[in-house]
Amino acid sequence: MEGEVDEKELKAAGAEKLPDGRRGVRIHGWEIDSSNRSILTSLQLQQWEQKLQTSHLPEMIFGDSSLILKHSDSGTKIHFNAFDALVGWKQEALPPVEVPAAAKWKFRSKPFQQVILDYDYTFTTPYSGSGTVEINSEHGRGAISGEGSCNLHWEDCEEQIDVVALASKEPILFYDEVILYEDELADNGVSILTVKVRVMPSCWFLLLRYWLRVDGVLMRLRDTRMHCVFGCSTKPVITRESCWREATFQALSSKGYPADSAAYNDPSAISQRLPIVLHNTQKLIVPNKIIKLSCVPYKQQRLTKRLLAILTRAAEGTVRQLATRPHVDSEVEVYLGLAKESRRGRTRGAERSGGLRRGMGGEERREEALAVEMNVLENEPRQAIS
Amino acid sequence: MSDLDRQIEQLKNCEPLKESEVKALCLKAMEILVEESNVQRVDAPVTICGDIHGQFYDMKELFKVGGDCPKTNYLFLGDFVDRGYYSVETFLLLLALKVRYPDRITLIRGNHESRQITQVYGFYDECLRKYGSVNVWRYCTDIFDYLSLSALIENKIFSVHGGLSPAISTLDQIRTIDRKQEVPHDGAMCDLLWSDPEDIVDGWGLSPRGAGFLFGGSVVNSFNHSNSIDYICRAHQLVMEGYKWICGNVAAILELDENLNKQFRVFEAAPQESRGAPSKKPAPDYFL
Repeated sequence: MEGEVDEKELKAAGAEKLPDGRRGVRIHGWEIDSSNRSILTSLQLQQWEQKLQTSHLPEMIFGDSSLILKHSDSGTKIHFNAFDALVGWKQEALPPVEVPAAAKWKFRSKPFQQVILDYDYTFTTPYSGSGTVEINSEHGRGAISGEGSCNLHWEDCEEQIDVVALASKEPILFYDEVILYEDELADNGVSILTVKVRVMPSCWFLLLRYWLRVDGVLMRLRDTRMHCVFGCSTKPVITRESCWREATFQALSSKGYPADSAAYNDPSAISQRLPIVLHNTQKLIVPNKIIKLSCVPYKQQRLTKRLLAILTRAAEGTVRQLATRPHVDSEVEVYLGLAKESRRGRTRGAERSGGLRRGMGGEERREEALAVEMNVLENEPRQAIS
Repeated sequence: MSDLDRQIEQLKNCEPLKESEVKALCLKAMEILVEESNVQRVDAPVTICGDIHGQFYDMKELFKVGGDCPKTNYLFLGDFVDRGYYSVETFLLLLALKVRYPDRITLIRGNHESRQITQVYGFYDECLRKYGSVNVWRYCTDIFDYLSLSALIENKIFSVHGGLSPAISTLDQIRTIDRKQEVPHDGAMCDLLWSDPEDIVDGWGLSPRGAGFLFGGSVVNSFNHSNSIDYICRAHQLVMEGYKWICGNVAAILELDENLNKQFRVFEAAPQESRGAPSKKPAPDYFL
């Protein structure tokens, strides 16, 4: 693969391969880096079970594999990893899907004292990628990871991903596919989470795909696409589109489609047959200027951290007016995007009864995000937090 | 050189047999397998191998590490077909070795040795692709019905593809099963091929899928005790290290000497360049 990319094309696009044998490219201020590693060892698996507080995980977790896209000017980092996806699985905690044989098993004589395991063995996840924006200077004094950054802020938008532009056969400067986890559902189908990326001279595009087929029962496809068109701005322009589809084999067969599992090996080939249950498009809001914690004196660092804490709390409810601080020495724009995955509007009952979520359900599932922009002016009188 | 020896050499080069040869081979294999018990007796020393799943080149690697048959006595725990690209060559080579050296290789049935499963997970399509008809698939799946369900090594180690069943407490109960049928959806025969051990239950558990038993430590202990066996050796699941000890759960390749001392042989997958198989790495594509 490495050898296949034309060096001339890379050069013409102002791109370069990553050094030291890493897989990826640098292009227009982006560093795009993928790694494909082996599945977790039994020891690592135990550690993950503890961290995730579960005793069941996919049989193949590529825990050290990842795709990372970093934009240095804006401090934006978008990345994909199995751990965060499994955190999403734990939180969503869908009820288990019964296989066709289960109907027969209900009439089987039960062994004395039988424990029925109840967890979502399909590892369905609402994961749509991880991301942070650094609010810390790179000269930070021993900044602890997580403290100097906050979550990315995505906002709903009308614009769609430009599929026409993506269909043009620009040369692909970098391509990779990373499997994050996979499970064969004990030979009852497949559950797989993958992310693939392609980088062209004018943009990068990626597809994070969760694909589930429970043989004879249902199929579920949760796609997240991200598209970033390279421009002259120092702020990256990224559109994110989530599209969830789901159908039972019964529903497909009643529409005249084949009902045998072998006909559904390739999600790309059959996705159109599966009705959409959720769809939304968002764009990334990139902060204008970034407050750099390490640039302000210690006292203000503490204040800023307090602000962060206040904002986090405010994000849960209504945004309140926030006080400005007197000692900040220059005009700074504080911009903090606090995104919180909405847990609202869960319609499990509908799923359990076999029905799918009605409509697009965009509002229900959309990431609820809150951004607070604040102008801190020099010597402005102190105000109280109301 | 006999026809059979020639066929074995051909299969060792990953070249499939002609349809008529497959038919004849299956008929011969049937005569041997029909005589085997549901709990087939195996003598030590023996090398035990887990799921092959059509990975012909990894199986060749396995023979390189474990030694050739008949020099080494082998026990394969099922799941010869599906998923890999060379289910036909893999299964036929094992079957040809069985016919040639019936006392030096034991093949027991996995849950993939079934008509229904092979139609979903690749073996059916592979036969159709390689022979232009499903006759070879028919011959092979007919042979699957004759494969034994379990093995007993020196009366001390019980080997099975999946695991235990609440319908079975003694080996004699396994011996009475009429195995010459497609793997059923429930019952003792189904459980032997499908069930899994489970750490978090002590007794019996039911899978969240609503079908499939899970067995815990006390189930294993009482089974071992009532049948005077030391431990259970099974395949069916994947671990990074190739094998794992949990209430007698072993996968991959395990060598037992004449005194039943254990030695695990872990080996790497065959290198990419040694296999004619398509690379797993997908070519760049203009996905949308």
